[in-house]
Formats: sequence, C-alpha cells, structure tokens
Amino acid sequence: MTTAAAAHEDAALVRDSAVHRRVYTDPEVFAREQERIFRRVWLYVAHESEVPRPGDFVVTRLGPDEVVLVRQPDASLALLHNRCAHRGARVVGEASGCARRFHCPYHSWTYRLDGTLLGVPLPAGYGEGFVEGAGGMARVPRVASYRGFVFASHAGQGEELPQFLGGLASALDNMVDRSPSGALTRAGGRLRMEYRGNWKLFMENATDLVHPGFVHESSVAAARESSRPGGGGGATGQTLDMLLSNGLAVPQWDDVPLHAFPNGHVYMGGFYRRGIIAPQREDAVYARYRAALAARHGEARTTEILGVDRFNNLIWPGLSVNSRFAVLRQVTPLDVDRSVITSTCFRFDGAPDEMFDLTLQFLNTASSPASMVASDDLEVFERCQRGLSDRSVEWIDMSRGMGRDRHAPRGVVEAPGTSEVAVRNQMAAWQRWMGAGP
Amino acid sequence: MSGRARLQDRGESAALELVYGEALLLDERRFEEWLELFDEDGLYWVPSQPGQASAHDTLSLFYEQKSLLAVRVNRLRQPSMHAQAPPVRTLHHVGAAVARPSAERGVDLEVSSSLIVCEWRGDEGRWFAGRALHRLRQGPAGLRIVMKRVDLINCDAPHRALTVPL
Repeated sequence: MTTAAAAHEDAALVRDSAVHRRVYTDPEVFAREQERIFRRVWLYVAHESEVPRPGDFVVTRLGPDEVVLVRQPDASLALLHNRCAHRGARVVGEASGCARRFHCPYHSWTYRLDGTLLGVPLPAGYGEGFVEGAGGMARVPRVASYRGFVFASHAGQGEELPQFLGGLASALDNMVDRSPSGALTRAGGRLRMEYRGNWKLFMENATDLVHPGFVHESSVAAARESSRPGGGGGATGQTLDMLLSNGLAVPQWDDVPLHAFPNGHVYMGGFYRRGIIAPQREDAVYARYRAALAARHGEARTTEILGVDRFNNLIWPGLSVNSRFAVLRQVTPLDVDRSVITSTCFRFDGAPDEMFDLTLQFLNTASSPASMVASDDLEVFERCQRGLSDRSVEWIDMSRGMGRDRHAPRGVVEAPGTSEVAVRNQMAAWQRWMGAGP
Repeated sequence: MSGRARLQDRGESAALELVYGEALLLDERRFEEWLELFDEDGLYWVPSQPGQASAHDTLSLFYEQKSLLAVRVNRLRQPSMHAQAPPVRTLHHVGAAVARPSAERGVDLEVSSSLIVCEWRGDEGRWFAGRALHRLRQGPAGLRIVMKRVDLINCDAPHRALTVPL
C-alpha cells in the first residue's frame, strides 16, 4: 500500500461520532502512528531543571527513539539520538549525569556535547575523509523550551511550539506562576504504571467524567465507610479526600466544564472541594504559601493565579498536566497493546516544604501502580483492549453529549463534564495527522 | 527447637513468628487480621527508588498509615473492585529472616528478611523480590508492627496494577 493510500485508509477510521476498533488494535496502524504522529508532533522530553549545568544530561524518549538531552557550554540545549554514528551502539548507558564528552563503549568513538564527532581510534583504518564525513550522534532537529518544559519534534519543519500548545500553554503557565520564585525544580523521582492496552485509552479516560462513579466505586465506598469519625489525618486525610472526591453524582460531574482546543488538546475544570485538597485552603501552611506568592505577584494577580481551578490539562498526544499539584503524567506507547504512564513532579521553589508533600501524596494516591484509584483504571483499559480485539463490532461510539457542544471563538468547544467532546477532539487530531496531515 | 533456644528469647522468636504469620495472612486473604498486626501509628511503606531515605522527598509505591490501610482492606472486600475480579492469588515467601533488638525510639525489635511474592491472576503470573524490614513494638496485646518496609529490587520499574500488599 502506498503512503497516500494508507493515509487515506487511516483517515477513514474516524467518523464524527464513531471510531474504528483498528485504531486501537491494528499493529500496522500503530506503526504508521509512530511515523506520522510520534515522529512529527511536539512531544514533552524533560524539564530544564534536570540539566542545570553545562554537561548535564538526561536520557529519555522522543516517540520511538531513545534520546539524550544535554546542556551545552553556552547554556543552550541539544537533543541527541542515543546511537553511535559508527555501528549503531547505544552510547550513553547512565540514566543521567554530567559529562565532558560521550564515548561509545564499542570502538571508542568520541563525541562532543553537541553530538559532533571529536575523534576515533585508528582513523587511518577508515580511509581518507571518512571520519570527517561520518557525522556524529544525530541531533533531533527541533528542540524548544516553553517556560522550562522542554519539547522536541523529529520533524525539521512545522508549527512552532507555542502555536502547537495553543490554549493549553496556559496549563504550563499556571504551574510556573504558582511558584513563589517563578522557578520549578523537578524532584521526587518518578512513578511508572504499565498496562496492556493502547495509549489512547489513557488520554480518553483522563477527562471522561462518567467513569469515576463506576470504575472507582470500590475506593469511594471504602473511603466513605472509613471516613466516619476516627478516619485519620495528615497524609491519610489527603488520600481520603481524594478518594471521596470521585464520588460525585452524574449531575455534579456535568457541572465540571470541559474545554476542547485545536490540535487535540483539552482541559477539565477542578472538582476537589474538600479539606486540604480544596483550591482555597485556610491553614497556616497555605497562608505562608500565599504570602510568598503575593510578594512576587501582588494580591490581585495571586488571587487570579490561585483561582485557576482545573484538574487534567491534556496536551495531545500524550501529556497530562496538573498545574495545582505540579504534576505531569505522560503516556508512552510501547506497542499497539502496551503502554507506560510516567508520572513526574516539581517543587514550587520558594514555597513551604509541606506544599511538596501535597504533590507527592497526590501522585502516590493517584498514579502509583498500587493506587486505589488508578489500579481500577488500568483494569478497565486492559478490558477495553481485550474487548476491542473482538471482531463482532467494528465501530466504537463516541457520541455522548454531541448535541450539547458550545462553539466558542478560536476553535474552542465548551461542553458539560459528561460529554465525550475530548475523545472526539483527540480523534479529530489523530485523523488530521494520520491523513493528509497539517 | 534449638534455633529458638539460641535466641535466648528477648522477643526474637515471637518477632519471627509474626513476620512469617503476616505473610500467611496475606496469602489467605485474611486482610482484617493482617491489619490488626499494625499498631495504631503503624506504617506500610514500599519506596519507589532503590535506597530511598524518605517518603517526604521522593514518591512511593505504597506509603500508608494504618488508618489508610484500613481503607485499602475495606476496598479489597468491595464487590465493585474491578482490579480484583478475578482476585489475585499470592504466595509470599519469607527467607533469611533475622530478628534483633532495635535502637530506634518506640521500636523494640526489628526483623530483616528476604521476600519473594508470586502473583497469579487471569492466566498470568508475575513475581516481586526484595528485602523486607519489620519494626515491631511490644504492647499489652503482644508485638505490633510500627513499620513494614519492602525494598523491591525492581521498585523503579513500570508495574501493572498492584492491589494486594506485598
């Protein structure tokens, strides 16, 4: 099949209100996705605070490839494919560190921090001009930082990062704005969950506000029974509040607004209203935090920053941002039916230490493989994948709430919480990139 | 039993018994009895990074005080717990357990052991391996767990859902 024919066929897998099951299950569609989406769009790579000094590097992924983000002597960033130009060996073995140059362990080809070849042993053996023409560790053509969040694209050309982020740049802005020093530091390690299912299942579920009452019924019920007098405090209180918050009734979920943007991005409003996780707390820690923010931004602006009440902000294709808890969750496709969700978090530099406890406990509760919440999501993702491999029904409905979309300026669609607007929006972006493309 | 005699019993044999018995309670899904082994301020901790020093600067797979463990145990009894339909079968293998008096404040004894947990669910199996540390306190009702910490050799790997405590 020609590329054009494949693009045409893939685009036909998405209709206005339904999507074909092959979008989740077909290994050939998955392979084309890797090329047409994950080797072209802007993807989150790492945070600048992970590579503060010249020579600092961190090994990460950009779509299907392993890459090394390296801070250069002039403070700029380079993103290198972790592959020797000679025989293809993986050059950097450590997950992170600080280096003056990179050596391939195989025949000791040596590279500068920008990936250019510095030297090889036995240069004469390779023939005249070979070493000069051999190139270096290949550089990813486009790397850009948005307020410290580093994104990259394998494509040499295309939309600039701020345009790609569009209305969802505001999620990254709000996280930075919530730091009393204006700086974020990546901290706390990371948590990774795996599931035997397609990567889209995570993104679709992240703003599906009908599922919590059913998928998370067991943790809501257990939390309710345990929250009667004598239920606990401290970190326990936060987890309990988080579990209980999933117990809204359907009309309450409907009141959580969804905002869908061009490029497949979407955000949902907040729904935490209780205890230590409420957007506006009244306690000594929060008062100190607020005062520190006000010293930087002034009272009015601080009120505005803290007033942004959103939960999941999804930057298509795979990043979920929670600005208030300073958390990123990213889904990485490993195969058509296998995905990993990586959660990382940040300190608001200059905020009371206790604010970071809130962040850690948020992820421990929501994004650990042992999470009382996420474990049921993972189970349902795996059941979806199993069911979708069944050929008895070809098309999957995504029409919920279709008649209730409100079209706002600049391509924004607003919808009530129980709408599947986010799924339709993500599939529209998928169709565009898989089809003729932008 | 000669091993028991050698310990001269400052509580060490009871400590070992508790650790072996705890593993059995989990395998037999006697979660409420398992919970009762924890003292009121008892903590269950599975770090996410090798050699992790604190749960207040680094994420954890589990970091739960008894009151929160009670929620977890309650959930394991909820019929709507999808991740336990069907339930996981586990086998905890405790080996090389050594009990000794503890210098920690509020802790009388500690038991270090190697722990292997085999899980079977839905025609698929997996295993976990690591070191376990039990800190125990002598109370009016006998020994209770102040902290159980499990350091998995693959604590920082991606894991599928973990629903029954290790």
